[in-house]
Amino acid sequence: MSGAALQASAPARETMRGGRSSLTRSRVRAAWIFIAPTLIVLILIAGWPLARTIWFSFTDASLNSLADYQFIGFENYVANYDGEWFGLLTDPDWWHSVWNTVWFTAISVSIETVLGTIVALILNASFPGRGIMRAVILIPWAIPTVVSARMWNWMLHDQFGVINDMLLRLGLIAAPITWTASPDTALWTVVMVDVWKTTPFMALLILAALQMLPGDIYEAAKVDGVHPVKVFFRVTLPLIKPALLVAVIFRALDALRVFDLIYVLTANSRDTMSMSVFARQQLVDFQEVGLGSAASTLIFLIIALLVVITMVAGQVRLSGEVR
Amino acid sequence: MADVVLKNVRKSFGRAHVIHGVDLAIGDGEFIVFVGPSGCGKSTLLRLIAGLEDITSGDLFIGGERVNDLAPAKRGIAMVFQSYALYPHMNVYDNMAFGLEMAKSSKAEIDAKVRAAARMLQIETLLDRKPRQLSGGQRQRVAIGRAIVRDPKVFLFDEPLSNLDAALRVQTRIEIAKLHTDTRATMIYVTHDQVEAMTLADRIVVLNAGRIEQVGTPLDLYHRPANLFVAGFIGSPQMNFIPCTVAEAGQDGIEARLPDGGTVTVPVSSEGVRAGAAVTLGIRPDHVRLSGQGTLTGRIELVEELGENHLLYVNVGRERHLTVREPGDARHEVGQEVGLSLDGGFCHLFRETGEALPLLKPAGFPTSRPSAASTSIA
Repeated sequence: MSGAALQASAPARETMRGGRSSLTRSRVRAAWIFIAPTLIVLILIAGWPLARTIWFSFTDASLNSLADYQFIGFENYVANYDGEWFGLLTDPDWWHSVWNTVWFTAISVSIETVLGTIVALILNASFPGRGIMRAVILIPWAIPTVVSARMWNWMLHDQFGVINDMLLRLGLIAAPITWTASPDTALWTVVMVDVWKTTPFMALLILAALQMLPGDIYEAAKVDGVHPVKVFFRVTLPLIKPALLVAVIFRALDALRVFDLIYVLTANSRDTMSMSVFARQQLVDFQEVGLGSAASTLIFLIIALLVVITMVAGQVRLSGEVR
Repeated sequence: MADVVLKNVRKSFGRAHVIHGVDLAIGDGEFIVFVGPSGCGKSTLLRLIAGLEDITSGDLFIGGERVNDLAPAKRGIAMVFQSYALYPHMNVYDNMAFGLEMAKSSKAEIDAKVRAAARMLQIETLLDRKPRQLSGGQRQRVAIGRAIVRDPKVFLFDEPLSNLDAALRVQTRIEIAKLHTDTRATMIYVTHDQVEAMTLADRIVVLNAGRIEQVGTPLDLYHRPANLFVAGFIGSPQMNFIPCTVAEAGQDGIEARLPDGGTVTVPVSSEGVRAGAAVTLGIRPDHVRLSGQGTLTGRIELVEELGENHLLYVNVGRERHLTVREPGDARHEVGQEVGLSLDGGFCHLFRETGEALPLLKPAGFPTSRPSAASTSIA
């Protein structure tokens, strides 16, 4: 055996070039061949539109004359004409939409995380019909957002909606509430519908993390006489924290880009306008491709910044061990 | 310190009956080993004592108190798990201190206990490490340390050495034996490894299919197995079994006729045995002797050299094999014809039901020690 291995290693050494054996080189080549399709697709569908959007943000392009534009530098972002400031960074509507988005993200993701954890803990326990429950709970997540937003719109309708009707009959409110139109309730309504829709997704991610946990430590905790609530905060929570943070980042990324839910529920209302809704309004309604692209570029930067902050604060390693 | 008494303890999971009425009295400070093949219910029995499973019927007493309905933490037990079950996110110190914190012990008391246990187990330098930074042996010590700091009346071990390599297993086994000598706590230990059972136990409980087959000191089980199952389970390599018929049942024993005609007189009680009855003769590989003119002849099919001794697998015809253990290096080759002599004084006889016939003051067997507490077989 060892003799054969020695013989084989001699020709192998001859083929070595530049410190790499032919085997390593062929492996590297194979790796590139396998990733190439992904890279090409990514460049086409993500890289190219992103680069084009960033480029447009430095121009005065408009939707009806996309071919005919001029480079105007940072004027879409900030500009000064005769001592008066213009541009996105000085636009109170833009900053209002940024605030709306961040507020929406913080509140909805927080509620979804807490509710999702509770639902996951329930689904992790063994009870009859657990398999069916796990499937059923995903239904809100499976419905397309536009459809569920339309459905909620109708349920929340101020005159014909079932929710106002129920609350009136129960005597909880004296007069119908214009859920999606009133500035006091509009954003909360959006949060509520988002929580309804996305909690199952959160629950599923957390359930996956819970099922990775070793069962024996819970028995050890039983022998140690640790109260179940203490077990959750001292054992379960620290152990699912990495997975929980990844789930929160996923959801936060989604929430920061929120568009369809808000657009369908409240249209272009300034009270609920998110960054994406703002960008669409500039691009489509006002035909300002340059300004809209500048808004999109800022959305990209804001999301990137927030994710980096979250990951550093939570010490999350997306590729790290989830345990 | 406490004794543990099980009275007609049964356990079913739905329709599956796993433990069928176990009666067992474990003395204070005794080291008891549950041993048996996988699926025999030994781990379930331990988990019933720990309180990790509910007892379906019967009573369990620890230190005289009926504990059926007490939570595990209130039973005065500590458990060491096969998989160690350490909290992965806590360091060694916190792993040992966690249970005490929950029991509202003072900081100084916890610290003293943890450090004392760490010194005892020689893991003082590892207190800041996380379990994943420890080797298997070190993790097992931490698990044992976590049990020690609880100062339990009864230690429960669930196959604690199964995940360790052979050398470490022997070393840790010795440490557990030392722990028992030092603490004099009652210990119940589950294993499928009969060497662990033989070396550690004051008494061994052999379980099979949810029933106790025999309870006794290690040598008791080895020399006086109560039935075919225990005879086959204790001792490695396994005892040889030869189906025989009773040629003559007399005062001094039974003359058993081997399948190919030879006879062996075994000094066992012949009460209730008639000539012509079918019995099984058992003899350990160490007690079969090679001889020119033996009771049996056969052809060697396999030789296994173990260094200090060697094993011969001899085909004695009709697809039957006998294992022979001989000291030193093998002096025979595969294919060679050999004669085997069976000394009746070293043989066991089992009824058709598997029950052993009582030995009559056997010449080759040392008398067994009296057992520490009374037991009965359910």
